[in-house]
Amino acid sequence: MMAVTTQGEDDRAILLVHAYVDGELDPANAIAIEQRMAAEPRLAAERARVEALRRTLRERLPQQTAPPGLEARVLRTVGLTGTRARPTWLALAASVMLAIFASSGGTWFALQPSGGEGTAEAVIGGHMRALMAPQPIDVASSDRHTVKPWFNGRIPQSPRVIDLAQDGFPLVGGRVDVVGRMPVPSLVYSRRQHVISVTAIPDASVAIDKSQSARGFNVIAWTADGVTYWAVSDLNPGELQTFARLFRDAAP
Amino acid sequence: MSGEDTRARFERIVQPHLGDAYALARWITGDRADAEDVVQEACLRAFRAIGGYAGGNTRAWVLTIVRNTAYTWLARNRNAVVTAVDDLAAIEHANANRAEAAAGGAYAANPESELIATADAARLEAAIAALPAHFRDTLVLRDIQGLDYREIAAVTEVPVGTVMSRLARARQRLVREIEAGE
Repeated sequence: MMAVTTQGEDDRAILLVHAYVDGELDPANAIAIEQRMAAEPRLAAERARVEALRRTLRERLPQQTAPPGLEARVLRTVGLTGTRARPTWLALAASVMLAIFASSGGTWFALQPSGGEGTAEAVIGGHMRALMAPQPIDVASSDRHTVKPWFNGRIPQSPRVIDLAQDGFPLVGGRVDVVGRMPVPSLVYSRRQHVISVTAIPDASVAIDKSQSARGFNVIAWTADGVTYWAVSDLNPGELQTFARLFRDAAP
Repeated sequence: MSGEDTRARFERIVQPHLGDAYALARWITGDRADAEDVVQEACLRAFRAIGGYAGGNTRAWVLTIVRNTAYTWLARNRNAVVTAVDDLAAIEHANANRAEAAAGGAYAANPESELIATADAARLEAAIAALPAHFRDTLVLRDIQGLDYREIAAVTEVPVGTVMSRLARARQRLVREIEAGE
């Protein structure tokens, strides 16, 4: 059984390489395995293989889409045939609400008084602290499939991570901020040399759609699916608006 | 719970994941028509169980039911018995072989990666289909459907450590399969 022990240690390093590629390691373990990969060609080769395989699977396999009749067949089976009025109505209502928010101009929609102001302060604070740190991010990656899983285990719910590189807002990474007493995810994007933080707060009670500036930063907030998103940056308000619109309209 | 409630819940919790449900069923059964039957049966189970759905990740919940349904379906219709392959000795053995093979050649990561990157779709599909069942569903959930480790652990009902080792084995086998075919 002696051989199994060293073999087991080997095995563990291999598993860590896979978890590293999957963005599942916390920063300490990620750094440790990065150092080992730099020193051990065996592990570096494993990393190259896993990355190549993942890319191949993503790019070469045909998308498996459900056959067109499947949904109707399923609904028939469970006895839910006919109208699907409810989601349509909901979608309509959501877009109406969005329109109301969008046209509300300078009105500060805060169903929970003072909650909005406090949150804005906390979000700007998180952004400022991040700018002062050596890195504004805890996980550095432009791949949303790396950033999203990184949040798992750190916060209850992973945020919606959207790739806006084609629109000139590349994803840089993510970090965890604390708003009130709650750890919340922040995504970090860049525009030229400007940093944009998007903090997602799962709290539909603060329903707002509002842009403002405070302490030299522009802030835009909007609510979607029970989550309030706060975009903070020193980028000019026009471009930040564009960013917010792209983020809000992007498919998840 | 009123009928309207159940409908709304089904539309919110199950319906958005039909595409993923079908893809997983298709990979497990290896057949389009069978996958449709499995999804249909799984949805019926989900519909009946939806009153007890306690919240959390809806996709993981749906995929758990789909996976279980697919395996019972296979057992019933094809007499297939899913054998557990998380046998430690087998893993050690496979790993030793890989280390040996790696030691034999130079660590030329680039040409090898290129080889992997140019594998064609049909060959990939065949190699995935040939994986042992639990290696295959773990790989599909991670590398094709994009679930994270915790979600996969929930769907396949094993600890995260088992997910990690299954995933690594599955990928290593695929890579060997691809390289052997060239």
